[in-house]
Amino acid sequence: MKQKKSAFLLALPALIALLAFFVAPMVYILVNTLQASGLDNFVKFFSDSFYLDILKTTLWVSVKVTVLCLLLGYPTAYFMARTQSRMKNVLMIVILFPFLVSAVVRSYGWMVILGNKGILNQILQGIGLIKTPLKIMNTETAVVIGLVHLLLPYMILSITGVVQSIDKNIEYASYSLGANPFETFRKVVFPLSAPGIISGCILVFTMSMTSYVTPKLLGGSKFRMMSTMVFQEVNVNFNWGLASAISYILLFTILIILLIANYATAGIERRVGGGKHA
Amino acid sequence: MHENRTGWVSRIVTALVFLFLLAPLLVVILASFSPTPIVTFPPKGFSLEWYRNIFTSSTNFLDGFVKSIEVAAIATVVDIFIGVTAALSVSRYSFKGRELLIAFFTSPMYVPSIAFAFVLLQVTSRIGGVSGMFKILIGHMIIIMPYIVRNTLSVLASFNWTLEDAAASLGANPVQTFFKVTIPLAKPGIIAGAMLAFLYSFDEAVLSSLLSSPKFITLPVRIMNYMELSFDPTLAAISTILILMSLSLIVLMERFLGLDMFLK
Repeated sequence: MKQKKSAFLLALPALIALLAFFVAPMVYILVNTLQASGLDNFVKFFSDSFYLDILKTTLWVSVKVTVLCLLLGYPTAYFMARTQSRMKNVLMIVILFPFLVSAVVRSYGWMVILGNKGILNQILQGIGLIKTPLKIMNTETAVVIGLVHLLLPYMILSITGVVQSIDKNIEYASYSLGANPFETFRKVVFPLSAPGIISGCILVFTMSMTSYVTPKLLGGSKFRMMSTMVFQEVNVNFNWGLASAISYILLFTILIILLIANYATAGIERRVGGGKHA
Repeated sequence: MHENRTGWVSRIVTALVFLFLLAPLLVVILASFSPTPIVTFPPKGFSLEWYRNIFTSSTNFLDGFVKSIEVAAIATVVDIFIGVTAALSVSRYSFKGRELLIAFFTSPMYVPSIAFAFVLLQVTSRIGGVSGMFKILIGHMIIIMPYIVRNTLSVLASFNWTLEDAAASLGANPVQTFFKVTIPLAKPGIIAGAMLAFLYSFDEAVLSSLLSSPKFITLPVRIMNYMELSFDPTLAAISTILILMSLSLIVLMERFLGLDMFLK
């Protein structure tokens, strides 16, 4: 009984702060939006292909970013987990360091590289590979590149931690039983690293869904994702009701995806028995 | 032989990934010394003009820097108190609903910043008279809290609580035990969490752009506003300073705390 009371007292400051400044405003504005115009703005969103396409673009870009982060991040994480190199700490700094640099600065770096008169086009034109500059800035490609750069460290860190905890002897056992590296990877290492892959993918996917700075700076005014659309409705079109609806649709989409992922994770962990890593 | 082949694929991808991760940062540093407004490659000279321009530009970057530091410092200090007590409550005691409480403490991570920012904008505009700084401060305080809770939790998860009993049996009272045993042992997690939280707030641009008032504009928003007017390497110069700041922080963390905690 005394324990419960102490736990409650310690949790109290955080509970009050979160309830007063986070939960209450989120619920209050949702109720308010619904009271002011019912489901009108939500219906408008889902019945207008202009808005629906923005949701589709946001989901599609996030899927691409997540897949690319996994393809690039897994081998890197495997290397980081298994390397005996004395350089390991330096490599960890290189992975963590862009992760601590502002998204504004990192997007700016990509603007300098990918612009029409950017460094990439200068190099390609310099060596005579192309005549007219490639148009990458203000396209979906630029946004995907920027987001992969922004979120790749999260994927690498999630997977490195899990691969590090897989006993190297399990891999040797697989080899000595006659499996080749590909089979060992597919049947042993990959399933055992599933928890890290899943948590990395969830993190990258949700952060990509909610990203604002990168799509704004690299996508230009014609490329729209959910977050940049909210901004435009608030500051340009002054349609606060619709902006509210879009924010909550984004929030609920993410909650639904998290619930599905949670459910799927429980299933996978039952099968591979990887609960101890979670 | 087997090892070499698996190592081979992962080594090449790793090298490419490192190149990819560093490229935009190196380009920014290079661009900051460009003698021309349009950055050329290879560079045609060397100039410090853009660094001077940070201080002479009509955009007051210095003011933005000070305001960003102010918000980040206050939000982090408040959150160290709130976040560490929260982490203690769920790791010190086991009770029903503990997992749920942890999920609640870290829930701001999963809510889109833009949704939360717009909600705060609507609530504060109804209340009226709320200063730009206070709005941003409240927003940052909430969204950086998970970083402190999670990092403190990851240290406390492997904490040997019998040490507290040992302190008590040696005559320490609960307050002494807390400050002389528990907190020192949890310190690496608290410091790492606080550093991440501070940087997150310092770099945050979504809440800050929606909630800033003309009198209170943080650095990332100033940089974004500047981009709309001009694209000269002043941006590269200020970015280089921010990059070097982050680099020194991460090197300090590696020296004094180790980087393994990021792998949990």
